[in-house]
Amino acid sequence: MSTEQSTDTPMVEVRNVHKRFGDLEVLKGINLTVNRGKIISIIGPSGSGKSTLLRSVNHLEVIDEGAILLDGVQVNRPDMKGLAFERHINNIRQNMGMVFQHFNLFPHLSTIDNVTLAPRKLKGMDKKTARELGMEQLERVGLAEKADVFPNWLSGGQKQRVAIARALAMKPKVMLFDEATSALDPELVEEVNRVMRSLAEEHMTMLIVTHEMSFARDVSDWALFMDGGVVVEECTPDKLFSNPDQERTRNFLQKHLGNNH
Amino acid sequence: MVFDFAPVITYFPTLLKGVGVGSLVAIAVALMSIIGGLVVAVISIYTKKVVSWPLRFFIWLFMTTPLLLQLYFLYFGLGEWILIPAIVVGILGLGFHYMAYNADIFIATIKSVSDGQYEASRSLGFGHWNTILYIIVPQAFIRSIPQLGNNMILMVKDTSVLSAIGVAELVYASQYAISVSFRPFEFFMVIALMYYVINILMELGQAWLERRTAYRR
Repeated sequence: MSTEQSTDTPMVEVRNVHKRFGDLEVLKGINLTVNRGKIISIIGPSGSGKSTLLRSVNHLEVIDEGAILLDGVQVNRPDMKGLAFERHINNIRQNMGMVFQHFNLFPHLSTIDNVTLAPRKLKGMDKKTARELGMEQLERVGLAEKADVFPNWLSGGQKQRVAIARALAMKPKVMLFDEATSALDPELVEEVNRVMRSLAEEHMTMLIVTHEMSFARDVSDWALFMDGGVVVEECTPDKLFSNPDQERTRNFLQKHLGNNH
Repeated sequence: MVFDFAPVITYFPTLLKGVGVGSLVAIAVALMSIIGGLVVAVISIYTKKVVSWPLRFFIWLFMTTPLLLQLYFLYFGLGEWILIPAIVVGILGLGFHYMAYNADIFIATIKSVSDGQYEASRSLGFGHWNTILYIIVPQAFIRSIPQLGNNMILMVKDTSVLSAIGVAELVYASQYAISVSFRPFEFFMVIALMYYVINILMELGQAWLERRTAYRR
């Protein structure tokens, strides 16, 4: 991944992706392009396949058909086996930041060590440089003063912000958010959204799976509605949320916005 | 009945030497059984059955037979062909015995670390084995401390069994003194007290370790 691709290569490309769990097909031929610096939101009911799609992008789910590309490099490589594939995927993943619904901070490490472990062990960064980088990332999410605290002492919102800093420390080309605010108490959602907004302002490329309709509408350049393993509709967020073409999208939004407001 | 603790005082240096030998054995066994138990646990969880099953069988052998029999077997049984010093046999025997029990603990705690931890580490670019090394094992180890502590307290008491193959630990050290002084009651009283003190110290150490790591779980 050392050679810089030309700027018109999409950052993430999903081509005709199929995924089955046993007899159940959860992704039925998904196509998606995320261009450099763009923010794409995916909404849809639970079980629609949106999380599976996001997890497929960094190969936490192994797809059965199709191709996924990061900056022009194919992520899934059915032709590669064993250690060769392990090396390949580890390299790819270093360029993708992933943020989980349940944070998954490492409880045995302090906040700063959570952020610097990967740069130190995977990029061979020395402790001092790594700490500087780590503090920079923690400042970015507003938690520099919590550097030497352990995750168990943090609130949910703080944990998720540290998780974002941890992903950012690897200088990823794209950030993947898998329902990053779904496990948070309502009053803690905003602090995480604020961090995500600031990333948007820095033109970070982001792929966001979310239940936060108003946030998705505000922040995204493009929005997708998924249901039953297919992309039902995709367009600008303004159109998707105010005037969707598809009946299924309208029904979902009515139910969802009705519940929330 | 008249108590006479004078012989105990006379032979106290011998008893202390016994404590020294016992402690040396206990430290060696603790290192061997904790490191070994961790390795066994990792292998039996993360490798193919061809590798893990023979290992599990070996461990199972040590869990289902008495410690004393294992020591006799290693010392007198194998002694027909190869003479291993008693203290080495003692360390190996106790080491394997407690390795089996410690492996059991580690298997449970490793499995208790959530899949989310594994995924988070992999998503950062860590490989499978690096994830086990940096993320899974340290968390499992911290969670194992209470039960490991209990096992190690049991183990320290079991060092007394090594007297049966002639390792000069505390109980063995007292035997000569008892045989010349005819004061078994006094000696065993004092020895019990010494074990009690060692145990208290170990429990304090364990409690301290648990406190130090509680917020890291």
